[in-house]
Amino acid sequence: MPSPLHDVVIIGSGASGAMTAYQLTKKGINCLLLEAGPNFDYTKDRQIRAVYDLPYRGFGKPGRFPHVTQANEFTAALWADEKQNPYTFDPKDPYYWVRIRRMGGKTLVWGRASWRLSDYEFKAKDHDGYGDNWPVSYAEMAPYYDQCEPLLRVSGRIEKLPQLPDGVFLEDKSGDSTSIARFISAAKQKGIPTTKQRRAQGTLASSANLLLPDALATGKLTILPNAIAREVTVDKATGKANGISFVDRRSRREFHVRARVVVLGASCLETTRLLLNSKLANSSGVLGHYLFDQFYVKNTVQAIVPEAKNGRAPGGLMGGTGYIPRFTNLGLLGKAKPDKDYLRGYAVDFSSGGTPDPKYFPHYGEDLQKALAAHTNTGFNATTMGSVLPRFENHVSIDPVVKDAWGIPALRISARYSENEFKMATDAMNTLAELCHAAGFEMLGQHDQMVPPGESIHELGTCRMGDNPKTSVLNKWNQTHDVKNVFVVDGSSFVVGGSQNPTLTITALAMRAADYMAEEMREGSL
Amino acid sequence: MAQMMKRRRILQVAAGLPAAIALRAQNPYAAATSGKPDELPKLEAIPPDGVADAQRKFCTGIQLAALKRLCDMVLPRIGETPGAAEAQAAEFLDFILSESPTDRQTLYRTGLDALNTQARAKQGKSFAEVDAATAAEILAPLGKPWTYKDPAEPLTKFLRTAKADILTATVNSREWIQVVSQRNRNAAGTSIFWTEIA
Repeated sequence: MPSPLHDVVIIGSGASGAMTAYQLTKKGINCLLLEAGPNFDYTKDRQIRAVYDLPYRGFGKPGRFPHVTQANEFTAALWADEKQNPYTFDPKDPYYWVRIRRMGGKTLVWGRASWRLSDYEFKAKDHDGYGDNWPVSYAEMAPYYDQCEPLLRVSGRIEKLPQLPDGVFLEDKSGDSTSIARFISAAKQKGIPTTKQRRAQGTLASSANLLLPDALATGKLTILPNAIAREVTVDKATGKANGISFVDRRSRREFHVRARVVVLGASCLETTRLLLNSKLANSSGVLGHYLFDQFYVKNTVQAIVPEAKNGRAPGGLMGGTGYIPRFTNLGLLGKAKPDKDYLRGYAVDFSSGGTPDPKYFPHYGEDLQKALAAHTNTGFNATTMGSVLPRFENHVSIDPVVKDAWGIPALRISARYSENEFKMATDAMNTLAELCHAAGFEMLGQHDQMVPPGESIHELGTCRMGDNPKTSVLNKWNQTHDVKNVFVVDGSSFVVGGSQNPTLTITALAMRAADYMAEEMREGSL
Repeated sequence: MAQMMKRRRILQVAAGLPAAIALRAQNPYAAATSGKPDELPKLEAIPPDGVADAQRKFCTGIQLAALKRLCDMVLPRIGETPGAAEAQAAEFLDFILSESPTDRQTLYRTGLDALNTQARAKQGKSFAEVDAATAAEILAPLGKPWTYKDPAEPLTKFLRTAKADILTATVNSREWIQVVSQRNRNAAGTSIFWTEIA
């Protein structure tokens, strides 16, 4: 007896897959969700432990995660193991591919930053002539952002900045510490805007607690963990997808599920790998190309607030955070003359408080301990997040040799930054140092070294949207041009990313795609 | 130091024995066990560092002696706060280096050898044996201002790496945390641990 025919099979339980499931099941559509990793029980699978009780005193097992700088010994079990899940790259151009295979995906530990894109991104080509526009506008996306922010419980402050559209926020009424206010004032004098962080709130802000429980409550969602998708299968007679073949993570048994519609939300590069291995949706030849992300320059500046030294900080001087949205090359949308020697721009997270890392002090022994004591809670630092230009040559392909632990061909990644990103990073460093000086802070260190591509965990663009099937993989509804019942809802659909963290936009796109799918299914078009 | 701690622990255990034996003698069931049969136990336990001597895994004897001296200089005991020696940071780093990638191992091997080479050149002794002024002279590269990029000079690169490792190995040790967390709750060294996937 054949397995049941599902309305929709969804790959991935993170932000995009779970949002699709949430939206479709609300509309009465039966969904089967496959997650490559295990389900888990928060009360059993997490525990408070002391660092000295860990085998490696917090260092972690040496060499276990050579490309996951976010991993530590406490969180080691979260990240996808590179031996089981290998990928390749030219050693000259390392790529840090960071993955989580557990129910909830990367939303288990995401940074929660939730920014909208604007038409400076959706219509970027109209603005500066580079690359391509998205096939959707901000006006089309706004209603979906409006629905996603309350679901994620995003706090923020209304600012009326055209490059950073306001949202439906839990209003952030918090004040600023004196040191933060000084930095904001210095920025304002240079015409640089600032705002409060916009972040999802709650003890856990994951698809696992915010989306999947409601979807399950409809009775329309079935979740299947430990199911590693191998291939999107196609009915040769119709040319349409008819399901997914997958392998059970633990037993390695092979299975197949049947579905009317296939939705891929496995994360940008896993989805692309699945399509490449399936030899689908690539009549354009751009599948896997235009890989980009945001570059980070971590702790671009590290400064101290001198009045806080030696424990003499008056109340209210230290603490707090803020955000500089992109402020370069804006001008009037569509008519801007670049004001920098690079295109587009960067954003900045800044925070006050804490003790600077010992590496900044050229001491050791008692002198170092005295320096650290004198600088307790004096720190001010800022991290740059810059937009990376989508370029055809940054791409992924299937490695001809390497396979994962389940025999599925692995990905080969070729990506490097361009001169545009290097110039932007240097400008960010100089600007932030100038602001710190103007705010009366003392500099301990500054640099413009970008993390390797991929490390921001914001990989995007390898199944890009577009109106033209010859130059894009997806149409404006996240539907593949080539196979009408295959949708891609994760960050691989992005055409331009900007400097904003992408998760909120990914959820808004997934919700919008789900609405379209539901309507098409109701009309019998899918 | 490890021997002193072991002796202290034995004395602590012995001091509690007579009272417990006297109580149990009054009731045969209590004599069988002082535990509570209907409760699930949560037994206090300790990591091995404080009660056992770690076996050397990576360094040669003279390298380990240099590493111990370096540890003591980077983070000495200050007042009541234990230093790297009490935390057995050198012994711990010796272990972790034995499992580290080759480039890390090479950095430490050449760095420790360079400390000994310079010490012999200056005083005809190993780094562990030279006087304080000479040892400080050898560690002068640690006084250079911080730069993001690794220094070109191998000894400076090694010393910066070792400084960070020694600090981490010490402040993450049970010996350091137990003392410092009494003064500062933020130094408890606890966090959420995710169990391995089955």
